[in-house]
Amino acid sequence: MTPSSPKVLIANRGEIAVRVIRACRELGLGTVAIYSECDRASLHVRLADEAWPIGPSPAQDSYLRIDKIVAVARQAGAALVHPGYGFLAENAAFARACREAGLTFVGPTPEAIARMGSKTAARQAAIAAGVRVVPGTEVPLPADASEAVLAAEAVRIGFPLVVKAVSGGGGKGMRIVDGPADLVAAVRVARSEAKAAFGDAAVYLERRLVAPRHIEIQVLGDGHGTVVPFVERECSIQRRHQKVVEESPSLAIGDETRRAMAECAAKVATSVGYTNAGTIEFLVDRDERFYFLEMNTRLQVEHPVTELVTGVDLVVWQLRIALGERLTIARSQALAPRGHAIECRVYAEDPDRGFMPSPGLVRAIAVPGGPGVRDDRGVTAGFEVPVFYDSMISKLVVWSDTRRDAVRRLARALDEYRVLGVRTTLPFFRWLVEQPEFLEGRFDTTYLDRVLADRRGRPFRDPTPADETHVSVAVAVAAWLGAHRAAAGARTDEASAWRRAARREALQ
Amino acid sequence: MTFEVDIGQRTRIVSIEGMGAAGPAGGEFRATIDGQTHEISVRPTDLGLSLVFADGRSIDVAVTETASGEWLVQLPHVDLTAVVDRRRRERSRPGAAAAAGVQRITAPMPGRVVRVLVKVGDLVEVRQPLVVIEAMKMENELGSPKAGTVKEVPASEGQSVEAGRLLVVVE
Repeated sequence: MTPSSPKVLIANRGEIAVRVIRACRELGLGTVAIYSECDRASLHVRLADEAWPIGPSPAQDSYLRIDKIVAVARQAGAALVHPGYGFLAENAAFARACREAGLTFVGPTPEAIARMGSKTAARQAAIAAGVRVVPGTEVPLPADASEAVLAAEAVRIGFPLVVKAVSGGGGKGMRIVDGPADLVAAVRVARSEAKAAFGDAAVYLERRLVAPRHIEIQVLGDGHGTVVPFVERECSIQRRHQKVVEESPSLAIGDETRRAMAECAAKVATSVGYTNAGTIEFLVDRDERFYFLEMNTRLQVEHPVTELVTGVDLVVWQLRIALGERLTIARSQALAPRGHAIECRVYAEDPDRGFMPSPGLVRAIAVPGGPGVRDDRGVTAGFEVPVFYDSMISKLVVWSDTRRDAVRRLARALDEYRVLGVRTTLPFFRWLVEQPEFLEGRFDTTYLDRVLADRRGRPFRDPTPADETHVSVAVAVAAWLGAHRAAAGARTDEASAWRRAARREALQ
Repeated sequence: MTFEVDIGQRTRIVSIEGMGAAGPAGGEFRATIDGQTHEISVRPTDLGLSLVFADGRSIDVAVTETASGEWLVQLPHVDLTAVVDRRRRERSRPGAAAAAGVQRITAPMPGRVVRVLVKVGDLVEVRQPLVVIEAMKMENELGSPKAGTVKEVPASEGQSVEAGRLLVVVE
């Protein structure tokens, strides 16, 4: 970094802030972190060139405060602002505030964010670009829609259907309706949830495809009219509409479908003048027919799997595009995956207690290493996983030549991984990598919720008698060591007390 | 030294004998469990303990003692909770006997009470949801551990709670 190189303010925390800092470093850009009260000792603060406090721990008082973040960016002399994902990453007002303050927002224009952020407007854009969408209502349902109007719309679309928030995401404001009897209540509940979560009660109806896969296409667009689509990511392993495992490529997609999906994604992105990184999500049925679902106008959590199979650093490219560079990635590189990559989202949650959050002090971490293993993490030993944000500890990503070898490598890496002090989802992943459906790629978006319901809370890994013997011995030995350590401590205290007494006497 | 170790439903008696220079920094040990004696080499690690058994098996265990006095023990494939000398602990804890049959439902994590679903005097079933706590953007229902009557409801909606805060008492 030279004194004149531009600085990037990273308007985020955790692993994604660390990821962006790394990309900035490699490009020779300066890095400005922001932190809330509970994040003072976080890894992103320690790694950045500069770190500025932005307020109390709750996100609405810190990482969601547009005014404070823009003020810090100006004070620190940052030229660019990278929003990461989550928080303000898909907030058009934030992108606009950056533009008005003379800061370059590392992402699409506020106009593109606003357009694609409305699910109904995004569907219209897809239809206009000639891309198939899941059948549904093309405009939000009016707030005062009568039961008769709702019923007529529902019959036109067909059951089962989904009520979805226009401004939604992450499964909130979403209700599945199997028949006419549940429709009115589902719309009412979805509206109130959407209002609470997104400040917008508007909802629409969409047909529910039977057992679809969730498959998405990463795109990059530069400021000179070039859009490059990438090989797909398979994200069907979901728990309550939240992605849990992602991989690339998908076992369910043939070359022809891959090319067709990429073409459609590029068309949608081009039609709205999209720049920087974005992702077009599709649902794919059993016959490989794909339907536009929505566009995410930001970097995705699961971007590393694409990086590992294409060799393209997406975050570096986000920054280069923001600095005005032209995309020079060959379409053939972006669309021809080399090998196979799989990502697991490791959370501080107890899988044996319904994935209940398990915040607390991380006492120690042993991170897997060796060939083909990448661990993107924002947490270190000695760090208290805060209760205020998402409880992600890390993204464990593996790469190998074939999917079979990638799964074996994943199992091996999971065995090496230990997080001490808090419960994590690691035992669940160890269970998952042994399931025949996962090994053979026979899953859709309903798979995980179905098997979890069937397990009724049974632990993911039953200990063997040998495991119990080892644990019993280990605990007893630890207790023995603890007792002897305490005794040794007491002896030291006695000895120093005796020395103090001897010194006192010598002085007299 | 002899320890009672509870894992799951079973209690095991484990005797540990330090050999030679064994001390706080580890050494050679003899452990007797389920009538079998194992000779083990022990070294403390950054995570817990490295155990090497006489037959060559190497076991790397992460061991943490939690605030509640339980031990969280992690092997490569499984996480287990163990309690050492539970009976001795409970005998020494004042008032433990009086709590028999009364279930105190406490907050398992810091968070915010979003809903209180019962009031004093309600009859509840096993696993019937009592309170919903929000933490880390997720809502978590706390169910009743037993069928019974709600005796106390110190929790109130909107309240922020620390881990361990008493929420409901069911008898």
